[in-house]
Amino acid sequence: MAEMTEQQKEQRRKELAAEAKSQKALLKKSNRQVAMVFDLNKCLGCQTCVVACKTMWTRDEGMEYMWWATVNTHPGKGTPRDWEKMGGGFREEEPLAGKLPTKRDFGEAWDFNYEEVFFGGKGNSVHLQPTGEPDWGPNWDEDQGGGQYPNSFYFYVQRICNHCTNPACLEACPRNAIYKREEDGIVLISQERCKGYRFCMEACPYKKIYFNHVKQTSQKCIFCYPRVEKGVAPACARQCPGRLRFVGFLDDESGPIFKLVKKWGVALPLHPELGTQPNVYYVPPISPPRFDAEGNIDESKPRIPTEYLKYLFGDKVEGALATLKEEMAKTKAGGKSEILDTLIVYEWKGLFGPFTKDPAELEPRKA
Amino acid sequence: MQCKKVSATRERLLDPLATEWGDIPGEALKMDATPLANQPSEYIKASRDERQIGKVRSLTVQTAHNDADVFFRLSWEDAEKNTEVTDNNVFPDGCGILIPLKEGDTPIDEMGSKDVPVNAWLWRADLKDGPRNTVAQGLGSTQFSKQCPIQAGSAWEQGRWAVVFARALSVPAQKDEAIQLAVGKPVKIGFAVWEGANGERAGVKSFSKEWRELTLEA
Repeated sequence: MAEMTEQQKEQRRKELAAEAKSQKALLKKSNRQVAMVFDLNKCLGCQTCVVACKTMWTRDEGMEYMWWATVNTHPGKGTPRDWEKMGGGFREEEPLAGKLPTKRDFGEAWDFNYEEVFFGGKGNSVHLQPTGEPDWGPNWDEDQGGGQYPNSFYFYVQRICNHCTNPACLEACPRNAIYKREEDGIVLISQERCKGYRFCMEACPYKKIYFNHVKQTSQKCIFCYPRVEKGVAPACARQCPGRLRFVGFLDDESGPIFKLVKKWGVALPLHPELGTQPNVYYVPPISPPRFDAEGNIDESKPRIPTEYLKYLFGDKVEGALATLKEEMAKTKAGGKSEILDTLIVYEWKGLFGPFTKDPAELEPRKA
Repeated sequence: MQCKKVSATRERLLDPLATEWGDIPGEALKMDATPLANQPSEYIKASRDERQIGKVRSLTVQTAHNDADVFFRLSWEDAEKNTEVTDNNVFPDGCGILIPLKEGDTPIDEMGSKDVPVNAWLWRADLKDGPRNTVAQGLGSTQFSKQCPIQAGSAWEQGRWAVVFARALSVPAQKDEAIQLAVGKPVKIGFAVWEGANGERAGVKSFSKEWRELTLEA
């Protein structure tokens, strides 16, 4: 083959880039978008969502250290440890380099002395405990929080894959193994196409992708799409005893997601500056009042520094908190608040839009 | 590139340290970083520096056949071997051979095309079940074949990898996914090396920048 001139090479590069771009555009396209809203004011940190996800999806070999759903107290290092410092995402639409979180950063799956306690005749003398001496795990720094007594504070932050509108993982994959489903915008990693190169893990600024060392593929939260397809809410949401995980289509004007996110603006994405346009939103935590030096309640400053909430949720958090406070004042004065009624969730079905079907009513999967 | 006719058996030549390899001439190929501009990922383009890609800059290739089987021995300097994916940020060493499945123009740095698919033979230090036969029709399109007609042997000694690929010259049952080789039928050939310690995987690797012509000695 004749050697290409520099000009021809440049031309060819442009063609290849344009081709790749159009393929990515197709993979990113979705007609509708499912989303979740988490109300940070209601989470009690019980980890039921985390375990619901674990028991449903990540019990196979190679998935031991995976927690597709996590709940960490903040301020804190999060899961994986210090994920907010690992890079990835976009700045002005340009992808940013990211780091690969290690198994230790996630908190490797601990082994327990089940054998000894349950089968070794030591049930009355030895405690069930991890073998070895683990020094990190999901939510390891629970309740450390921030601030100084008596103005210390923390709140729980629930995280799953954000099923972003502009997923950094999808953009990063050189094999086009990651795509958004047209019908609901759920982001999936094709386990057939994935070759375990882990560029997605690097690029995801939320560090919500895990590498399965047995299958040698990358895996993550799938928004329980087999349940969603049948009208059942994802396991983490359905099992949440705090009624704080709203599920629905972002464009469903009658549903709580649309109202909380679009209409009232009281639910915001985590770290919007990362440029991926997440589809998980958070109702920010309302601060308890501060105590002054004499121990009197000081309403002039919030206990949770607004700067910290702006760091997490962007500048719009002030507006969201102001709205919530106005609504609270309204009800305090004896009025009604549709926003607060929505957030209270008097009927659990109010959480899930079209996804209220009882999973027990589904036909069992054929073997 | 001449594929030398020898009488040695597959069993012998699969051992990269077999004395028979001492009689087979080697060609030292200059290796280059794969062009960043060709990477099918804006993330890879933005997060890598082409000067840091392709740690292995020289690859010695020896090739022989015994009328039944063809052999390639690839060797290169590598101070540290990376044979296990022990963590999420750990990558294995690897090497590969690329041969177009059909005649026709296909740039070596584009992994074939729909018109001219390429057959890649892949060895990776962490693969316990042997090498992979793959077919690609463009960047990022590599697919493993269900059955792999290739065998490999490898050794790392004194800061050097030596990897042997062995395969029957012709594999009629897999003609769509495996190059059919024969005396008197030259093919184009290219080579790649992944340095695991440098995080090299996928298209991030060093490669022989131009096609060579491989001819099998009669």
